[in-house]
Amino acid sequence: MAGPAPRLWITGAGLVTAVGATRDATFRALLRCERGIRPLTLFDTTGQRSTLAAEVTGVELPTHGREAWSRTTAMALSAAREAIAEARIDVRARRVGLVIGSTTGGMFETEALLAELHADPDAKDALLAMLSHPLTSTGDRLTETIGPFSRVRTLCSACSSGANALVVAAGWLLAGEVDAVVAGGADGLCRLTFTGFNALGAIDTEACRPFDRRRRGLSLGEGAGFVVMERAGAARARGARPIAELASWALGAEAHHITNPEPRGDLVASLLSRAIARAKVGIDYVNAHGTATPLNDPLEASALRRALGPAIDAIPVSSSKGQIGHTLGAAGAIEAVITATAIERGAIPPTAGLEEPDAACALLHVPGVGRDARVRAAVSSSFGFGGMDTVLVLAQPEHAPEREDRARRTVVITGAAVTREGDAIDARLDVGRARRLDRAAKMATVTVDAALAGVDAAARAATGTILGGAFGSVDASAAFLHRVFEKGARMASPAEFPNLVPSSPVGHTSIYLGLRGPVFATADLATSGESAFAQAVDVVASGDADRVVAGAFEERSAIVERILAALFARSPAKAGARRTEGAGACVLEAEDAARARGARVLARVVEVVEWRDGGAPLRELAPPHDAARARVILVRENGGVDELLDASPWRSCARETLAEGEHEALGALALAIAAERLGRREFDEALVVGLARGRGYAIALAAA
Amino acid sequence: MDLTRLKSEIKTLIVDELNLQGKDPASIDDEAPLFGEAAGSLGLDSLDALQLAIGIEERFGIRIPEGDEARPIFRSVSALAAHIEGARPMNGGG
Repeated sequence: MAGPAPRLWITGAGLVTAVGATRDATFRALLRCERGIRPLTLFDTTGQRSTLAAEVTGVELPTHGREAWSRTTAMALSAAREAIAEARIDVRARRVGLVIGSTTGGMFETEALLAELHADPDAKDALLAMLSHPLTSTGDRLTETIGPFSRVRTLCSACSSGANALVVAAGWLLAGEVDAVVAGGADGLCRLTFTGFNALGAIDTEACRPFDRRRRGLSLGEGAGFVVMERAGAARARGARPIAELASWALGAEAHHITNPEPRGDLVASLLSRAIARAKVGIDYVNAHGTATPLNDPLEASALRRALGPAIDAIPVSSSKGQIGHTLGAAGAIEAVITATAIERGAIPPTAGLEEPDAACALLHVPGVGRDARVRAAVSSSFGFGGMDTVLVLAQPEHAPEREDRARRTVVITGAAVTREGDAIDARLDVGRARRLDRAAKMATVTVDAALAGVDAAARAATGTILGGAFGSVDASAAFLHRVFEKGARMASPAEFPNLVPSSPVGHTSIYLGLRGPVFATADLATSGESAFAQAVDVVASGDADRVVAGAFEERSAIVERILAALFARSPAKAGARRTEGAGACVLEAEDAARARGARVLARVVEVVEWRDGGAPLRELAPPHDAARARVILVRENGGVDELLDASPWRSCARETLAEGEHEALGALALAIAAERLGRREFDEALVVGLARGRGYAIALAAA
Repeated sequence: MDLTRLKSEIKTLIVDELNLQGKDPASIDDEAPLFGEAAGSLGLDSLDALQLAIGIEERFGIRIPEGDEARPIFRSVSALAAHIEGARPMNGGG
């Protein structure tokens, strides 16, 4: 199917940062070189190396609705509303998706609960309130407030989360799965990240100085950045005005180290080259990752030089982090909005704090205040913990040449594996190389490794992995904070901190197994495995990777079990199956790539349908070819699922429920088991259906 | 505390604090480099250095300076022991 790919317009954008409560206020403050890095007031900083941060003041938490709000969610709501208002779209009238990148979610609010639980581990109210703030809570609150959205994705790739939210949005739009997407990132400051980055010695005791020879580390910040992205044709038809176009992107993983960047910046250079080549534009401006850590800035400068050649000497480069701090999971989205605004307004923001450029960071810097400049196309870079890097190229609307549409590719499953409670895990790992992996990371790694049996090292290097996890490392986060409560901030464990980021298990898996394709985590409560699978299908079908391992893991957690016990004490009917732990993974591969390496195909992905409250499009599923040889596999017993299926073309197929106990990663086990059974031809077609609190997924597979 | 016992405690601390599973503390050479890729080195990295500094402060009550000043102290188990011994208050317990 030749023809041009649809252009992707950003038709609305919103920001909340330490220097402005809106996009316009932020951008004007950036141009004036205002700095938002000040003594932190949000919580006590006694004992911390640095006490500065780019804090957003005046965040008001909405009080309506059943659930408690987090500062992260309040900032996300403000930025998303601003983007929607500017785009003038009615999210209820069209198929609009929501994608959110974040690392901390409601951690700041959870910390107060953990302090209560530190004093009394069974404090009922605190336990029940813990359920209000998982990473998915931001998407859920936004859905209740400004939705409904036709599909919602929560992802984490540490400091590239916000950029990857835009990549996911682009994939959905190119696949025609939605008419528009509200996409962005949000992250609020909290004790956990502030203490953790301080323990790593990564924070400058003064306001940070990107690219300066005296730089001593980053300054943390907080905020939110959101865009409305849509296909240009539809946007034009409704009279929308574009701010800028997302011209191209590239993402991959360094597979190097959980906190330190690859010193030569090889992946960064190759992503820059790939993204710029794909956009086929000259670059007029680079909004750098520019964290001001000793390691990041020279490697980024060197990667830019390698990717752009001598032309880099004439391209202004600036980092916004000297003004708004490093906003972690929000940074990629906030900085993409800043970059789009630079294009729209013909103005380049400066690098605040840069006075004596480091010779190792030789670039055309923008010290002082902003400057007017014609910006036809620009790069925004984001690099995350665990080496998950993303480069976006934004351009003036219609500036980049049209790109050939990449035909949607058929996706097949070429490997599958499950890990159950009691299975050997440590024995399958090299203890030396695995010494930094926590239990979740170990379960994820051995499961992904088993799914990839038969895939050689070269093919693994071109493989990505997307893993779902519902709650993150609750017990380890609690232990980290309890140590801080008891021994003070300066005794926080630097080695523990990286394992508390929601993308840590998938990052460790990528590093241990040498997987250098797209790598990130998704979260979607008890359908986290289904969300990772759905996202990985999209990444492979769209051509962003030939092979992605999709899976999910859930480790036993004493705190989660206490929360559930408190919950079920109030509503015993929900107690359900025996609580356990486990992981599942499927290797999703473009059919052509699988054939080229002679892989055995277990199953083909026929269709992925996902929905939110209100919609349940099972009646629109393609019918099975032979209902007698087709099987419906329910991930768990859910009220109402039979009614949904009875209204679908799969109504007459045999149904069974997975009997693997209960945990949030069950969907990944169900998908892996279905693929294996299709491989053995126990049946010819399978529909895996997973539901949880207002969300659902139905994934149709067929034997090869 | 005598130096041999101090060194042995440091070795145990290194193995425990850095989760060097399967490594016998007694097998660590007093003079072997702790950091870097050289032959005979324990192969630790910057994240380990931060964790070890916290562990030593907690166990021995002695602060390891940050940055370049820490390099000679972290050279080997012997160097660490000498630093701890030198920084200890008079008649300090172990």
